[in-house]
Amino acid sequence: MNAIEVKNLRKSYGETAVIQGVDLTVKQGEILGFLGRNGAGKSAFINILTGIIRPTGGSFSILGCRGLSDQVKKRIGVMPDYSTLYSSMTALEHLQYFSEVSGKKKSTNQCLRVLALVGLDGDARKKAGKFSFGMKKKLGIAAAMIHNPELLFLDEPTSGLDAESVLHIQQLIQDLHKQGKTIFMTSHNLHEVEKLCHRIAIMKEGRIVKAGTMEQLRAHCRSTITVSLKHLPVPKMQTAMLYDWLEGFGTEVEAQETSTRVTIDAEEKIAQVIRAFNQCKVDILRVEVDEPTLEEIFLEE
Amino acid sequence: MYSIAKREFFQLFKSIKSILIIALLLLTTYYAAKFADVIIAIAELSSEEAKDAHTAGLLFFMLLFGQLFVMALSHDVMNREIYERTMRFLVTRTSRTSIIAGKFLGVWLFWFSCVTAAFLVTIVFSKHFNLFLLAQTISLFTFQVALAVLLSVIIPKPAFSMFIGVMAGIAFPFFGFWAAFLQDSWYSALRFLSPYTYLIRDDYTFLVVFIGSAAMLLAANELFKRREC
Repeated sequence: MNAIEVKNLRKSYGETAVIQGVDLTVKQGEILGFLGRNGAGKSAFINILTGIIRPTGGSFSILGCRGLSDQVKKRIGVMPDYSTLYSSMTALEHLQYFSEVSGKKKSTNQCLRVLALVGLDGDARKKAGKFSFGMKKKLGIAAAMIHNPELLFLDEPTSGLDAESVLHIQQLIQDLHKQGKTIFMTSHNLHEVEKLCHRIAIMKEGRIVKAGTMEQLRAHCRSTITVSLKHLPVPKMQTAMLYDWLEGFGTEVEAQETSTRVTIDAEEKIAQVIRAFNQCKVDILRVEVDEPTLEEIFLEE
Repeated sequence: MYSIAKREFFQLFKSIKSILIIALLLLTTYYAAKFADVIIAIAELSSEEAKDAHTAGLLFFMLLFGQLFVMALSHDVMNREIYERTMRFLVTRTSRTSIIAGKFLGVWLFWFSCVTAAFLVTIVFSKHFNLFLLAQTISLFTFQVALAVLLSVIIPKPAFSMFIGVMAGIAFPFFGFWAAFLQDSWYSALRFLSPYTYLIRDDYTFLVVFIGSAAMLLAANELFKRREC
């Protein structure tokens, strides 16, 4: 079963279309990374799926139910983009209150356990008004998971956190996935998305321009491949012949005594490049194929 | 709904404003009840007329200042959370109707506790409990709380709802009494909008005030369902 199914979702403010006919499917148990530049429509999209704003058109179903019924709300956890909390309430009181509102009241010990998971166990009885931005983020994540939801929406869960906290939250996201939870997360940290997410969707101007696994995105993006070879020096007699051939074969060649970089236009040509070195009796020490990173794929859009 | 109501209820007891209003309500009721016997003697009221004289202070308080105090405490019951975005945590967890109902119930219970406590004070002096009068007073503050919830949904900014709320609180008794006694003019139908029209009668027409309150809450609910948080 799909955890999220979105069909032709639209949202406009007057003449301005924020979401323009988005179709998206998120399978149960997967982590989907949702990328896009500021203002691309990511938060608006999450806000529609979580009931914060109403769509102008289209439809969506969450956990097999059309729209967002009260029963479904009890099965999802949301960390909104702005972790504004009740300044007069402690972290512990927040979790107790939110679990009660969700209809699954948790004991003090259960709340303390969730606070420990996000690294706030030492601050459980501190008022949220005295929390730093990072601590508020952590409390936002704890609030999203307090009622043990099946599906989590995390809007930039690690932005504003220190490096140690980022690793801690990333590990927590992986642990939640191991427990079978589906996670829909947005982030501006592309390395984080590449590391955590099974599938990635890139949004631009209210439309999803790319979606798939990292491999699928790479295949879609890959118009040229750069092969870097470390090798023993090429015999002088062979040098001209080899590099002339490479220049005719590849689109770009950078040659040094013991290393060569060749840019080619198809994956199948990698073997031919290696064969050419072998035929010239040049021992290859290492071959590296530069694959496009998520950053390059993202920037291509 | 109940968790939201519970939080709203206890939250109201925590502010200085509410403590002052409770103190004012209880003191007015206490001293009015205490000196009621003197007033009864001076005014030479019959025993029938004097029956409810002890509650005069409380009624004076609620009729003239009730709306002002309800607005002072609860003008931002909805829009504060929308403005500060804490509402996002609530709307993603429960239905919007539950939020409206919970907020209304919390504020309503606060006033119910205060008014009931004030009525108990009057019993000490009058040795008499008038359930009809209590029910009428409940209908009045139910209307006032529903109006506060509705205004708080309509007006997006808490600072603005504070201003409008205070203005509405001051105008409410003047408009209410003026409208209640309107007759034979083209705008006399306005009297049906005033809760005082139904409260000045000694029969059960005050129950109409509950219907008016329900209508305002339904309107607030429909508006809130369309509101982006």
